[in-house]
Amino acid sequence: MARTNRDTKVLATYNIKGGVGKTSAAVNLAYLAARDGHSTLLWDLDPQAASTFLFRVRPKVKGGGRGLLRKRSRTAEHIKATDHELLELLPADFSYRHLDLALDQFKKPAARLRKVLEPLLKDYDYIFLDCPPSISLVSESVFEAADALLVPVIPATLSSRAYEQLDELSRRGRVGKMGGTEIFSFFSMAEVLRPLHLQVMERLRGVEHFKVLGAAIPVADEVELMGEQRNPVAVFAPESSAAVAYEALWKEIEARLRPGILAPVQTAPVEAPAG
Amino acid sequence: MTADPLISSERPLEEVQAALRGWFEITVGAGAEVERTYYDTFDGLLYDAGLVLSIQGGVRTLTTRDGSLPASGVTAESVAGVRALLPVARVRLTTQILNVLDERDKTVCRIVLEAPVGLRGRARLVGMRGYDRERDRIKELLVASGCYALADMPLVDDAVIAGGGKPEGTRSKVDVKIASNELADAAAAAVLSRLIEVMDANLPGTLADTDTEFLHDYRVAIRRTRAVMRELRGVFPATQIARLRAEFKWLQEVTGPTRDLDVYLLEFERLREVAPPGMRPDLDPLLAVLREWHASARERMESDLASERARALRLDWGRLVSQLTGLAQEGRSDAARPISEVTGERIWRLHRRMVKMGRAIKPNSHPGEYHELRKKGKELRYMLELFATPLYDADVVKPLIKALKGLQDVLGVHQDRDVQAVMLKRLGEQVAQQPGGTAALMAMGALLERIEKEADAARGQFASSFAEFASDAQRKLVAETFKRSAP
Repeated sequence: MARTNRDTKVLATYNIKGGVGKTSAAVNLAYLAARDGHSTLLWDLDPQAASTFLFRVRPKVKGGGRGLLRKRSRTAEHIKATDHELLELLPADFSYRHLDLALDQFKKPAARLRKVLEPLLKDYDYIFLDCPPSISLVSESVFEAADALLVPVIPATLSSRAYEQLDELSRRGRVGKMGGTEIFSFFSMAEVLRPLHLQVMERLRGVEHFKVLGAAIPVADEVELMGEQRNPVAVFAPESSAAVAYEALWKEIEARLRPGILAPVQTAPVEAPAG
Repeated sequence: MTADPLISSERPLEEVQAALRGWFEITVGAGAEVERTYYDTFDGLLYDAGLVLSIQGGVRTLTTRDGSLPASGVTAESVAGVRALLPVARVRLTTQILNVLDERDKTVCRIVLEAPVGLRGRARLVGMRGYDRERDRIKELLVASGCYALADMPLVDDAVIAGGGKPEGTRSKVDVKIASNELADAAAAAVLSRLIEVMDANLPGTLADTDTEFLHDYRVAIRRTRAVMRELRGVFPATQIARLRAEFKWLQEVTGPTRDLDVYLLEFERLREVAPPGMRPDLDPLLAVLREWHASARERMESDLASERARALRLDWGRLVSQLTGLAQEGRSDAARPISEVTGERIWRLHRRMVKMGRAIKPNSHPGEYHELRKKGKELRYMLELFATPLYDADVVKPLIKALKGLQDVLGVHQDRDVQAVMLKRLGEQVAQQPGGTAALMAMGALLERIEKEADAARGQFASSFAEFASDAQRKLVAETFKRSAP
């Protein structure tokens, strides 16, 4: 069912800081993309393998990160089906913690990830990259590969400073594709009853070039429960506030990525019915 | 994604659980009651291509016979060509999905239990990407448990057979085994009964206009029947055969116009390409008239085929063929001769006759002469296919059929173009009365010019393809192989 001329979008959940809801966002948004009929891949680049765990897959890639970067084997061979239709996973591997060193051996390390992804573009409508927190060669390579960065921001001063760092980075033109990568940030682990959170959200939304999305992911038990359920929120608590928030967030991201396309494209699983 | 059909037993869930215990956990997924309809062409083209087409709940699925995805670009329509996709079996079944989980509770494979009403139950393994090893292991465990065996055929075959059909469809091929010392009337009766079967099988589809091949196969069977009646006339009682031959000629004639127009319509777009590009859209009024003619030709044919005359012919002919071997020998001079002797002589004579006819044809000969040669060629071809293939050395028969085919192709192109040209001229008057008729007439004029050029080109090729067919070596070989008992 390989479609030609797919307009594949590569999305990376990224933040310099850890524990801001990156993996939750990657897993939930990728799930929603697939549920809407889009062929979707999630690459868990974080050696801590949280996404991989949530999809119940063994965090192991034969040949490790170095093997993938060198394209010794076809990247596609390492892909695993998840339990969800149309959603596949390129698992994490412990060796990813040395991905920086591995990248450094290439002439153009920043372009490397894009090269590794290239043969997969024809197979997917969306590719999500769940990135480890840091600013490194890996993140630079991710910026280069992604069409958009999805940056979760906790509306508390400390982590919003992290966002400001990123914004600084983008303005210096170092974010990928010669500055062409979109940066969408959204509030994560938001506590709407805390005045401090509300203040920060209001302040940041007022900044034009920050492109803060409207939907905010609340602090919610369901998000915590994902670890126990090992499923996206929409699967085990579809009515929860978190599930509703991810849904709204995904709609907004899609609308920004594909302006003009309101309804999601359903990829037919089989041939079209005959007349 | 691959799927292996396995035949399961009475209590598949318990047995799957028992077989996989200690290795994998099972959870029960969605179940459903569904109705599934399988499709193929009348002659089983999808079967031949190793494909299975089904529609279930409005969703159409094309797989290979072992349940995998077909090669990219392959569609049921591309395989079927001009043939219609017809329902060949309908099954009601309950399905139940079992998820097979590994130690991380990850689904590594799905087992789809299918329990079709009245048919053997099945379990299909649906593998998941990246978990091939697990799928293979699961298959091993299931097979080792003894409750499962690899299916010898897919569900569609079970369903078709249960409905009294044949999975490979209904063929119009005449593949009758004949021994060379078999008596001529017995051999003729065997071939002719098979031809009656073919006609009977194709008549309903011809009447219903299911697709154009039914009528084509029906007419080929008539023509073959007529060839046998003519060439082996010495095995029939002379009085009866004369009348029946006239009746079959009638049957051939009343089905002719519809077939000609079928071909015209099937070829119309190709024909349009023959016209100069600027004039192609101008031909639309011609298409409209052709469709009109086709509809009225078909109407006439349908009433002829349903007539008392056609029914009587079928009955009389069937009776004669089935009783042929029991009839008195008097007046049936060839009846008790060995079939190889009779057909050998006829084949040799037919070849000799064609050589004579072909030599008389000059580039400026009337199209009718080419046409007569082609008709003889068809007779020879049928005799070779029906009788020579089972009786004579393939090293002689095959090259002869090939040379004949080469000649017939050239004559066929000539004939088709001639028929098209004649029909274009006849259509002119009516097309002129259509809206856009004048432009259409001009386009038809241009078309006619090109069609006649193609007919000329075919005439140009005639000499060389005839030379191969009528070469000294070929004639010698034909005489040596087939002449034997000829005077």
